[in-house]
Amino acid sequence: MRRELGIGVALIALCFVLWLSNSDFLGHSNAINTLRQISMLGIFAIGMGFVIISGGIDLSIGSVIGLTGVLVAKVSSANAPGLGYPLWLGILVGLGAALAIGLMQGLLITRLRLQPFIVTLGGMLLWRGVSQTIVEGGTLSLGGSPLLRLANGGIFAVSGEPILPYPLLIFLTVIAVATYVLHFTVFGRYLYAMGGNREAAEYSGIAVRRVETASYVISSGLGGVAGVCYAAYIGQMSQQVGIAYEMYAVAAAVLGGCSLRGGEGTILGIVIGSAMMRVIDNGINMFQLRYLDPDGIQRIWRLNPNWTFVIIGAVILLAVVLDQVAHLLSAQRRLRRSASAAAESAPPRGAESADAS
Amino acid sequence: MTDPTAPVPLLAMREISKRFLGVVALEKVSLRLAAGEVLALMGENGAGKSTLMKVLSGVHTPDAGQIEIDGRAREITGVPDAKRLGIALIHQELLLAPNLDIAANLFLGSELPQGGAARGGWLRPVPRARLNELAAALLERVGLRLPPSTPVSQLTAGQMQLCEIAKALGQNARILVMDEPTSSLTAGESEQLFRIIRQLKREGIGIIYISHRLDEVLELADRISVLRDGRYIGDLLRAEASHDEIVRMMVGRQLSGQYFPVRTAAPASAAPAELALEVRDLWVEGAPAGVSFQICRGEILGFAGLVGSGRTELMQAIFGATPALAGTLRLAGQAFRPESPRAAIDRGVYLAPEDRKRHGLVLPMSIAQNVTLPDIGRQTRLGWLDKKKEQRVAAREMARLNVKAKSQLQRTATLSGGNQQKVVLGKWLAMSPRVLILDEPTRGIDVGAKAEIYRHMAALADQGVSIIMVSSDMEEVMGMSDRVIVMHERRIQGVLLRSELDQQRLVRLMTGQSITRENGAAA
Repeated sequence: MRRELGIGVALIALCFVLWLSNSDFLGHSNAINTLRQISMLGIFAIGMGFVIISGGIDLSIGSVIGLTGVLVAKVSSANAPGLGYPLWLGILVGLGAALAIGLMQGLLITRLRLQPFIVTLGGMLLWRGVSQTIVEGGTLSLGGSPLLRLANGGIFAVSGEPILPYPLLIFLTVIAVATYVLHFTVFGRYLYAMGGNREAAEYSGIAVRRVETASYVISSGLGGVAGVCYAAYIGQMSQQVGIAYEMYAVAAAVLGGCSLRGGEGTILGIVIGSAMMRVIDNGINMFQLRYLDPDGIQRIWRLNPNWTFVIIGAVILLAVVLDQVAHLLSAQRRLRRSASAAAESAPPRGAESADAS
Repeated sequence: MTDPTAPVPLLAMREISKRFLGVVALEKVSLRLAAGEVLALMGENGAGKSTLMKVLSGVHTPDAGQIEIDGRAREITGVPDAKRLGIALIHQELLLAPNLDIAANLFLGSELPQGGAARGGWLRPVPRARLNELAAALLERVGLRLPPSTPVSQLTAGQMQLCEIAKALGQNARILVMDEPTSSLTAGESEQLFRIIRQLKREGIGIIYISHRLDEVLELADRISVLRDGRYIGDLLRAEASHDEIVRMMVGRQLSGQYFPVRTAAPASAAPAELALEVRDLWVEGAPAGVSFQICRGEILGFAGLVGSGRTELMQAIFGATPALAGTLRLAGQAFRPESPRAAIDRGVYLAPEDRKRHGLVLPMSIAQNVTLPDIGRQTRLGWLDKKKEQRVAAREMARLNVKAKSQLQRTATLSGGNQQKVVLGKWLAMSPRVLILDEPTRGIDVGAKAEIYRHMAALADQGVSIIMVSSDMEEVMGMSDRVIVMHERRIQGVLLRSELDQQRLVRLMTGQSITRENGAAA
């Protein structure tokens, strides 16, 4: 829990600083929008978390998000290239495709013993390409579709903006179910065991291949859910939606305490990690410093948005470096303690030597 | 004492045969185990003990033969089959998930009561409170006084061993196989383990105990079965067993120097012998104290000891792979600080590691690429890799060491163990060694290649190379060494000159006892 605590405190501090610099940060509109962004990232970051905790990786999530959205738009949009079927059918096709992709990739990884990195890298390119052939380089508009209410609507509306947007409600549901599955069920226990020592899990009679396949289905499935949300949020789908999102998910999971070696991480950590990613993103736009220029005129200094990736990248590196330094320091302390304990308890025959005589 | 010839033994394995790619691993091996009996399974490395136990626990399926439990023939085709039949194998390298706590590990794979863990059961909650209670009871049974919520990553090797036993008991194991359980335990932890084993015996559990430690076996076992070269050799009851008898059955011949080369010079006695390497108070992580020794030019210094006695760690410190915590080294009289393998290699100190597939070779690369790897800078012309030259160097070493391969371009992964070891040696011989450390130089190598490696070792020593040979093969230690240092629990237990070498003294030192020399001085 050390990592969760550390990043959680950092998140609260960051929010506080942002609010001090610009009170609009916690203003109704910005706060709700940031929550929406956190929710949509968090949904598929949790999916990625299942895979990472079991010791794998899923690079295809971003493309699955894109493909799901494209399929929803293609099937249900009433506008030109759309097929105009009912919305529920579009969502069904999109989510079905996402689950099928997860199952297929999971089976390739477990049955043919292919490396997850390669299989999901291939998937990342393949599903992106499939989206491209569907939209044919253009966009599919969802204008007029009832789906748009999913992103913008919610419950407890105050002056037109809902307090709890639907993506947040979906996210909360996913958190609740994922927390139960990962931290309380037998299946969750198996995921951790596989990530910690795959051989031990196998020799304990666990059907490791089935558990591993399931983790990829979960990851892809939650990618699909996020894809529907993004389609609703953006309102039109192009082949660009979701590019590099898998990296955001990995970053959120790692920031929240998951280890790519597997076996470590919590849902709480992934949620905090996702929030951190999005707050930084939003903070780069919101952060401002008021100062008086030499002529005594009040001016506002803002961060250049071109620095977004530099800042996010640096934060991720800083988090893992700090974590590792803390880890090494505590290991060193333990070693020194045990060495001094051994020196005290050793019988006084340390002076022995074994020279040739 | 239970009668091993009772009509219905707990376990009977009959005429089990197993081949791997045509190589005989087991040839009609039979074995019986009664309830409440401790059977020691003994044999040299490669005798087939592990294969036989893997057949029993469902990891390997036998080519022929039958397994009976309580007199009923049983088919074991996988680990779950064996588990259901009450067979538990405790591996030498322990199989626990370090990121989970003790209770989670004890019930891994059997979290829910019988039948509950079927497919639909995966989404049922783990009954933590109940498992913690059960775990506490199991821990009590094996004498481990720790809360079940302790993370396994915080346990010592001995505590993990007891956890594995508790896990087996939790699965109602009636046949418990332990593979070298004491290899990484301290004396105190071993004592505790023996107490638990005796208690399990009283509860009617049959135990198959694999160990190389004769004293341990004579103390614990009711009966000893000996395997050699994949065949069953015979049984001894404890009452009629003796060190010499067991060793004779395991080795199958009197220990003799038949294939050990005769040394032309005896450097240890050569008047003011030149010191090659001096090691003073070298303190390796986890050791109780520093270790000091010296080796002369042209000497073969044997390092004997049980697995886990700290020899490999010491060698890794001298080679710079895991730098020591403290201590000074002098190489030919000059200061030598191996901070990294590169530093050691640059001074002519080379290591042929114990695990040659992991640390000795890059398996997917060719013989030539492996041979020149540490010295790649010399195989270049104007910064370009000179493949012709690289292959010439490799061809020279292959010829010198008689490596059997299609060409120097063959991948090392496809070579036999003996030829792989020759490539590792060739890598270092191509660079004129000063001190050559050989960690288990002939493990898993057939007799012919062994003899060749011994011949090269002797020739190198005669040329003035100092050789440190870590070996668990008693015959090899006695046949090759000019002098032997015996380690026990990460310290030097004693030193034997070639003239003083005998099996009994070695075993006494290896098991932590001291020896008395003719003149009465204790080592």
